[in-house]
Amino acid sequence: MPSVTNSTSAFYQRSLNQMGDLRALAENLQLQISTGERLAKSSDDPVASARLRSLSRTDRLAQIDADNAARASDELSTGAAAMEDVANIMIRARELAQWAGNDTTSATERELIATEIEQLRETLFATANGLSNTGRSLFGGEVPDFAYTMDGAGVVTYAGTASAGPIDIGEGVSIDRGLTGPDIFNFSHNGAPTDAFAFLADLANGLRSAADPAAAARDSFTGFDASIDTLGRAQAIYGARLTWIDTVQQTQVLRAEARAEEGGEIGGTNLADAITRLQQTLTVLEASQASFARVSNLTLFNSI
Amino acid sequence: MASDLLLIGKAGTVAARSALELTAQNIANADNPDYARRTIGLQEVIATGAIAGYSESAFGGVRVDGVQRTDAVFLQNQARRTASDLTRADAELAGLTATETAIEQTGIYPAIVEFEASLARLQSDPLDPALRAAVLESGRALAETLNIADNTLAQSGEQIRFEAAAGVDTVNLHAQELAQINAAIVRADPGSSSYAALLDQRDAQLARIAEQAGIAVSYNPDATVAVRLGDASGPLLVSGTQTFDLATTTNGDGTIDFAVAGAPVTLASGSLAGQAQALVAQRDWAIRLDDLAALTIQQVNNAQANGAAPDGSAGQPFFSGSTAGDIAVALASGAGIATAPAGSPAQSRDTGNLESLRNALANGGPASAADSLIFELANAVRSRTITRDAVSIIAESAQTALVTETGVDLEEEALNLVRFQQAFQASGRVIQAASDIFDTILGIR
Repeated sequence: MPSVTNSTSAFYQRSLNQMGDLRALAENLQLQISTGERLAKSSDDPVASARLRSLSRTDRLAQIDADNAARASDELSTGAAAMEDVANIMIRARELAQWAGNDTTSATERELIATEIEQLRETLFATANGLSNTGRSLFGGEVPDFAYTMDGAGVVTYAGTASAGPIDIGEGVSIDRGLTGPDIFNFSHNGAPTDAFAFLADLANGLRSAADPAAAARDSFTGFDASIDTLGRAQAIYGARLTWIDTVQQTQVLRAEARAEEGGEIGGTNLADAITRLQQTLTVLEASQASFARVSNLTLFNSI
Repeated sequence: MASDLLLIGKAGTVAARSALELTAQNIANADNPDYARRTIGLQEVIATGAIAGYSESAFGGVRVDGVQRTDAVFLQNQARRTASDLTRADAELAGLTATETAIEQTGIYPAIVEFEASLARLQSDPLDPALRAAVLESGRALAETLNIADNTLAQSGEQIRFEAAAGVDTVNLHAQELAQINAAIVRADPGSSSYAALLDQRDAQLARIAEQAGIAVSYNPDATVAVRLGDASGPLLVSGTQTFDLATTTNGDGTIDFAVAGAPVTLASGSLAGQAQALVAQRDWAIRLDDLAALTIQQVNNAQANGAAPDGSAGQPFFSGSTAGDIAVALASGAGIATAPAGSPAQSRDTGNLESLRNALANGGPASAADSLIFELANAVRSRTITRDAVSIIAESAQTALVTETGVDLEEEALNLVRFQQAFQASGRVIQAASDIFDTILGIR
């Protein structure tokens, strides 16, 4: 007699398949929750993974850009601080010159003033050869060590390169890492180009040996004014560049935040969603386990 | 005639007991996946051709005609075919997943990005020896990552070939057993329980072969089978008691080919087919990986050739080798990295050449090549996973349908137990009645 049967092992096989599927789903959700990552490998979602890869690459390169921007900012700050020193020296020298330009100042006093101006010149030389935190010359452009050299006669010459060299701070922006010595120390006096070192040396010599030392001192005032003007412009350039770097750094931070957010949206686990779905899956799994236990207990052998 | 009644009763108890034994056998094998449910065939016994005075026919009871085995040729075929599809999809997916692990999980992409990052950092201070050493080391890490990926791929290929060889052995072993079963079936008595057991074994062997390679089975009237690989036009694997050996050969590029009795054969399903496909895919991905390594070597070495090292000398090659397997760092120290354009003086801080290398790497360089390689690979794995899941559902339902049709239903068997027990008891009462009748006759005085 043919009859439609429901084979016992088919029942067990079906139940096993169904509960196995539910368990796999629950495990997958549990993995997502415990790692916080929705994607364990690229094939989980190829498009999102490609997006995440490109984000991680941008992020890594942006870190370097941020480091470079911080470094540029650091070098410019150090340079600006050294500029302050230079300006103070020149202002002090101009005070001394004013004093020496007074006809009532005695020759002995002028000698003392000349000595002090020479010492200021030495300080100026040391400042001009200042190094940044990373050991590079502040005002020498791209030379590795010192911007100025002094020969036996005390003549100071510029040994650096013509430009300071740019530093790449990302997204196509590059910025000069500082100013070179000539940008800061060179100015023109009485129509002739000179630099702060030669100018101070001339002044000290004039105070000692000129026919009219007071006139020589007074004559230097226009030179000092030109020098201080140059320094003021250079300081403005430093300030403007630092502000520019600040702006770039702020943009970098904003973009990094946007990238982190996008990465979280693409590849991160939405905890509320995942936990709810896990709870749902577990409820269904428990229910199917309970009903399986009930049904498998129902056998005719218990009743005969 | 009372003795007839006694015989009928006896025949009834014998038939009922046989049916009970068969029910017990069914229950015992309820969990045996190769077992097909048995039913008992009964036939009425009537003695005809009478001697005068008696009726023309006399009842002789019942006899066991034979053990019938539930057969479902169509469902068997479908279960075998879908199982072959599933094992093929599984084997191919396993091979591709191994490839994805080798290429993605070894971290080729992060290594390339790290190399680019170290170059970007060097640009901030091109003469810094520490930054130069960092570039050299990240280049070395990139080269070694490519080496590891290549090596992992090769090992995975080795593993797949090993599995394929084992699979071929399995096919041959089961084919030989099938030939022996064919011989035994011819000798067995149809309707006997040993005949039914042989058919069970026959179907079990066919299922084992189908897991390894897709087969077409033709059933002969005497219940023996002829097995062909692939479809009905494929080469014979088993015919009667004769078997034809399946063999595998490994080609130079690591892929494998199959042959039956020396004649080449292409398998379309079964795990052997999946393994062959996985090996072809791995070979192709290994070529892509080599291309990636070659692109990296070419771009970096080109940039070196166009530049000058800090000591003013012309740049020397950064990488040596030409494939993912043999790429290595050739420079001895970071001082050899040519950051300045060719012809620059010693100790030049000009980063023109470094910048052009960074641009080359960023636009259509190894990073985007690796990205598209991983993307395509992930897509391939993804689509194969979907195929596998679909095929798996089909195979599961085919298997369930087969088991539903041929498996043992315990409720039905419980019912049969009661039914045949009652039949046995009823036949016993028949014997009792015969005995009473006989006693009645003997008791006449």
